[in-house]
Amino acid sequence: MPGGGAGPRAAKTSTASGRAAVRAQRRARLAEVVRQFAAHRSGVVGAVLLLVIIALAVLAPLLLPFDRLDVTRVTAGANEPPSGGHWLGTDPSGRDVLGVLLWGSRASLLVGFAATAVSMVIGTVMGMAAGHFEGLTRSVLLRIIDFFLVVPSLILAIVLSTVLSRGLTTIILAIGVTSWAATARVVRAQTLTIEARPYIERARALGAGDGRILGKHVFPAVLPIVLANTTLTVGAAIIAESTLSFLGLGDATTFSWGSMLKIALDTGAATAGYWWFVLTPGIAIVVVVLCFTLVGRALEAVLNPTLRSL
Amino acid sequence: MLAVLLALAGGAVATTSAQAQESDKTLKVSLVGDIDTFNPFLAILLSSTGLNRYQYEALVGYGKNSEPVPGIAEKWETSNQGKTWTFTIGEDRKWSDGEQITADDVVYTYTSILETPALQEANGGLVTNIDKVEASDPQTVVFTLKSAQASNPGQEIPIVPEHIWSEQDATKFKADSDVVGSGPYTLTSFKTGQTVEMKANPHFWRGKSKIDGLTFVSYKNSDAAVQGLKSGDIDLVDGLTPAQYESLEKSDNIKLNAGIGRRYQALAINPGAIDKDGKPMGDGNPALKDEKLRQAIFMAIDKETIVKRVLNGLGTVGQTEVPATYQDYFGFADGHEAVPFDLDAANQLLDDAGYEKGADGIREDKQGEPLVLRLMGRNTESPHAQMADFVESWLKEIGIGTETQLVTPDKVNEDSTLGKYDLYFTGWSLGPDPDAQLAMNTCDSRPNADGSGNTSENNWCSSEFDQLFKAQHAELDKAKRADLVKQAFTTIYEAYVSNPIYYIKPLEAYRSDRVDGFVTQPEKGGVILNQNGYWGLYSAELTSADAADDGGTPGWLIPAAVVVVLAGIAGFVAVRRRGGAAEDRE
Amino acid sequence: MTDPVVAETLGHDDEEVRGSSLPRYLALKAGGALVSLALVVVLGFFTFRVLPGDPAITMTRGRQVTPGEVERLRQAMGLDQPLLVQLGHFVRDLFTGDLGTSYVYRRPVTELIGEYLGPTLLLTGSAAIISIILGLWLGQKAAWRRNSWFDKTHTGLALVFWSVPTFWLGLLLLLMFGGWLQWLPTGGMTTPGAHETGLAYVLDVAEHLVLPVTSMVAVVYAQYLMVMRASVLEEMSADYLTTARAKGLREDLVRTRHAVPNALLPTVTLIFLTIGGLIAGAVTVETVFSWPGLGYLTYKGLSAPDLPLLQGTFVVFSAAVIVMNFVADLVYRVLDPRLKAS
Repeated sequence: MPGGGAGPRAAKTSTASGRAAVRAQRRARLAEVVRQFAAHRSGVVGAVLLLVIIALAVLAPLLLPFDRLDVTRVTAGANEPPSGGHWLGTDPSGRDVLGVLLWGSRASLLVGFAATAVSMVIGTVMGMAAGHFEGLTRSVLLRIIDFFLVVPSLILAIVLSTVLSRGLTTIILAIGVTSWAATARVVRAQTLTIEARPYIERARALGAGDGRILGKHVFPAVLPIVLANTTLTVGAAIIAESTLSFLGLGDATTFSWGSMLKIALDTGAATAGYWWFVLTPGIAIVVVVLCFTLVGRALEAVLNPTLRSL
Repeated sequence: MLAVLLALAGGAVATTSAQAQESDKTLKVSLVGDIDTFNPFLAILLSSTGLNRYQYEALVGYGKNSEPVPGIAEKWETSNQGKTWTFTIGEDRKWSDGEQITADDVVYTYTSILETPALQEANGGLVTNIDKVEASDPQTVVFTLKSAQASNPGQEIPIVPEHIWSEQDATKFKADSDVVGSGPYTLTSFKTGQTVEMKANPHFWRGKSKIDGLTFVSYKNSDAAVQGLKSGDIDLVDGLTPAQYESLEKSDNIKLNAGIGRRYQALAINPGAIDKDGKPMGDGNPALKDEKLRQAIFMAIDKETIVKRVLNGLGTVGQTEVPATYQDYFGFADGHEAVPFDLDAANQLLDDAGYEKGADGIREDKQGEPLVLRLMGRNTESPHAQMADFVESWLKEIGIGTETQLVTPDKVNEDSTLGKYDLYFTGWSLGPDPDAQLAMNTCDSRPNADGSGNTSENNWCSSEFDQLFKAQHAELDKAKRADLVKQAFTTIYEAYVSNPIYYIKPLEAYRSDRVDGFVTQPEKGGVILNQNGYWGLYSAELTSADAADDGGTPGWLIPAAVVVVLAGIAGFVAVRRRGGAAEDRE
Repeated sequence: MTDPVVAETLGHDDEEVRGSSLPRYLALKAGGALVSLALVVVLGFFTFRVLPGDPAITMTRGRQVTPGEVERLRQAMGLDQPLLVQLGHFVRDLFTGDLGTSYVYRRPVTELIGEYLGPTLLLTGSAAIISIILGLWLGQKAAWRRNSWFDKTHTGLALVFWSVPTFWLGLLLLLMFGGWLQWLPTGGMTTPGAHETGLAYVLDVAEHLVLPVTSMVAVVYAQYLMVMRASVLEEMSADYLTTARAKGLREDLVRTRHAVPNALLPTVTLIFLTIGGLIAGAVTVETVFSWPGLGYLTYKGLSAPDLPLLQGTFVVFSAAVIVMNFVADLVYRVLDPRLKAS
C-alpha cells in the first residue's frame, strides 16, 4: 500500500524528501510485482504470446499491404484449401485467410481494448462514487449499478448496436456500456475497505475534500484490482465482439475475427468443410482470450494478497 | 438401480425405432424464416404465404410454367371490354371436409377483403379495382371492375371456406390447426418455431397427392439444415449457399437442383426521391440527380464477375427487372440493350461531365464536395457484403468514394422508402403478372411524406412510363401487352435508377434415396419450392418404403448419457457421505 | 470466514445480514427486488422506444393508406400518446398480465412468451444444473489435490473452455456430432413428425437437448470451477482450520466438513448472480441449434422492432434475474455459518 500512513504532520508538510520516499517506495513495489509475476509461468507465457500478437497486429500494414486483400485484385480462387501460396487457404472472396486473419486481429484487439477501457472507466468511477458517497446518492448509484447487473447484457448490447449507426465505435460503446457493472461492484467493495482505514479518517478530519480523498488515496489503492480485472475483461470483450458479429450486428465492412466467422457461417463454409476458414478465427479468439485470462489471473494473484497462495 | 436404467434403455430403443417407421410416409422439408400467421387475410411473410399456396387455391392458378390455369374456377371469360369477368366453378371442386366449393365462398372471401380494412393486410392492394363480386348461381361468380384491366382478378387471392370462416372472427382466426382448404395439402398442426404439419387433401380435384403428408421443420441457420439433410432428419432443403451446394455434389444419395429464380438483385440509385405531394424526401446525395453520374455508375458494375465470384456461377446476369422465368416479358425492348462494363468509358463520361478528380483520386461534385456515396445493404444476406467489396473497389477506380452500411432488412425497407440512401442493394420477387411490379414505379405509387402508404420501388417518376403502364394495364392482346411491358421495364432501366445485377438461382437439394419426381416451375430448370403454385410437392413420390434412417441415432446413447451423469452424482454424494460416516465415530 | 470483498460483491453489509431477523431481512430484500423490477420495467420501456422504426408505418407499408389512416392506426396502438401516458398504460396492463399484441405475430405477447419460455427454461435450467454440479465437484476436487495432475489438467481445460465463443463451439459440435457422426439431431426440440408421448417424448427431447446444453455447459462450468476452487483453497488455509488440524482432525474431514461447506456459500450465491449470463447465452445457442426459445424470439423481435414483444421478453428476462438475485440473498442469509454458529 502506498505510504500514506506517515501521520498527520507529515501529510501536511509533505516535504520533498517525503515525496521522494513515496516514489521510491512505489518503484520498489512495482519491481516486486514484476518479480512475483515472473514467478507465474502461465502468466509469463500468456504475456509473451500477447506481445507477439499485438506486435503482429500493429505491424500488419508492413507485413501485408492492405490492397493485396482487395477483392477485385485477388488472383486466387474462392475457398481454396491451404497450399504453399496460401498457408491458410482462401476465403469465399478469394482473399488469403492468413492475411485476413492478420488484419482482423487489429479490429478484434482494438474492440477488446477500447471496450474494456470504456467499461473500466465507467466501472471505476461509478464504483468509487458508490463506495464513497452516502445517503441518497449511494442508493441511487447502487440502483443504477444493479440495473446494469440485472439486465441481460447481450440484449442491451443488441439494442444499442441497432440504434446507433454501424461501425466499430458503436460496438465498442455497446460492449463497454453493458459490462462495467461487475467492475463497479468490485471497485465499490475495495473502496469501502479502504475508506474504513484510519488514515482516511484522519485525512477527512484534516479537511480533505471528496476529490482529494478519491483521487489521492482511493484511486491508487483501487488501481491494482482494476488492472487485474482489466485483462480479464478484454477477453470477454473480444468474445462479445464475435458474438455480436455472429448475430449480424457487427461491422461487416471491417475485417475482424468475428466478421470472419460471420462470413464463414453465412456462406456455408462450415457445412462445405472449409475448415481453414471456420476454425482459424475461432482458434485465434481462444488463444488471445486465454492469454489475457492467464495474464489476468497471474496479476490477480500478485496484486491481491489473499489469493497469493493459490 | 442399474436394472431400472436398463429397462429405460430398452424402452428407448423400442420406441425410437417404432417412431421411425411411422413417420416414414411424410416428406420432411426445411423451413427457414418465421411464420407470422396462417390466416390468409393477414399473412405477408414469404414463408407463410408460400405454405398457404398448398392449402388454398385461388379462382385461377398458375401452371407449371406460371401460365394461368384453372384453380377453383374451371373456366372464365371477360365481357364489357374487360370490365366484367365471369368465373365458372368446377362441380368437382370440394373442400377437404367434403363440402362443395361454391360461389358463396368466393363472394365471402372477396367481400371480406373489400369491406374490412383489417383483412386487407395481405391482399388489399390487389382488389382496389374491383367494384363488386356477386354470385349469379351456385357455380358462377361475376366480377364487376371499375375499369378494364389485363391482369386476371381471380389470381392470387386464396379462397376460404365460408361455412368455416363465417363462424369465426376472421380478423382473429388463426386457422393453424385442422384447416379446411382446397389445395393438395392442408394444415393439421403448427408448433410455433418448430414444425408445420400438413396432410394430403383426399378431396383435391386434381387427385389426392401420392405423399401422405408434409412436415416443415424450422431451422434457424442453414448449416444445421444441410446437416439435417445429410443425416436424414429432413429430405428436402432450399436456400443453400453456393458453398453448401457444391459441397453436396459429392454425396451419392443427394440430388441437387439449381433452378431459374424469379427474383432479381439490383443496385438502386437515389435519383432524388419525391413524396406523393411532390415534395423532396430523404437525404440522397444531390449529385445523383445527374443522369450522367448514374449512367457512369452503371458502367462501373461488372455483372459477369459478380455472378462468377459471388455466386460461384450459380446465377444469371441481369437485364431488366424481369427474370428469365417469365419468357414472355424477359429482356430489353427491341433496339435497346444493357450498358456495358467499361471503367475507362465511365471515367471519360465523368471527366466530360465536369467531375474533377481531387488529390486523393476522388472526384468532386458541382459544389466542390468530394463525391462519397453511401451504400446500404442487408446484414442478413452474405452476397450483399461480398458485392459491396466489389462495388467499392470499382467505384473507387472511377473516382467515387463509398461508405458501406449493412443493416437489418427492416431498416433497409424504412430508409429506402424514406429516400434516406444514395445507393443500396435491392431485390424483388416477381409474380407471373408484371402489373404489380410495374405499378410500383408509377407516379401514383409514391408514398406519403412519413413513408406510409404506397411503396415506390425506385422513388422515381416519369410520365412516359406512366403512359406505358396504363397501356399495358388494359391491353388484352397478349403479344401487344408483352411488347408494352418490355418497353416499360426498359424505360426504368434507362432512367438509371436500378441496375439489375443478377437473377439468383435458388439452390435446393434433396435425398434421392427418399424422394423423387419433383415437377419444377418452370418445367425445365425451375425450382421445387417457393413456386407460384404447388407443383413441386404435389408431384413428388417417396421412393423408399422401408424404415430408413431415423437419423442414425444409436438408441443406447441417451440412457448411456443418463448413466454417466447419475454415476457422477452418485460418486459425488458417496464422497460426502464417507466423511459423514467417519464423523459418527468421533 | 468469507472474504469481505466477495461478500461486498454480493452486496451485503455484515450488519445487515447478521443484525436482522429472518423475516425482516426477507422483507428488506423483497422490497429491494421490487424496486429493481420497477426500475427495469420503466427503463426497459424507454430503451426500446429508442429503436428506429415506426410500427404503424411498418405494418401498413405497401398498402394504399392515407396519412389519416396511418394516424388512426397509430392511435389504435396507443403510439400517439405522450410517452409517460404510454408508460402508464403499459404498467397498468402489466398488472392484468396483458403485455400487448405482437406486431409481427399478431398474437398476444403473453401467449407467445408462454409458448417459447418453456424450452428456454429447459435449456438454461439443464445447463445451469449440470454446470453447477460439474463445476463445483471438479473445483473442490481440484483444490483438494492442488497442483496435482488432476488439478492442472482441469484448471487448464476450464481456462480454455472459458475462452471459447459459445456459438462457435455449438457450430463445431453440430458439425461433428450431428453432421459427420450423425449421433445426434441437428436441430429443433423434437423429432419432426413424430408424435411421441410420455417417456418416449421425454427421451426425444433429451436427445435434442444434449448438444445445445453441452455447448452452454462447456463455457459456463469453467467459471464455477475456478471460483469454487479458489474459495475452497482459501477456506482450507484459514486460521480456524489450522487449529482444528492441530487438534487432530483428519484432512479429508477438514475439507468436507468445513472447507467445502463454507466455500459453498459465496460460490453458490455467485452462481445465482451469473445465471443472468446464461440467459443471454441462450440467444446464440438457440440460433445455432434452432431451439424454439425466448432468446431467439427476442433477437428476432429486435429487427422489426416488435415493441410489445421486446418489452415483454425484456421484463420476463430481467424478472428472472431479479428473482435469482433474491434467492441468492435468501440462500446467503440462511446458509451463513456465522449465524448458524451463534
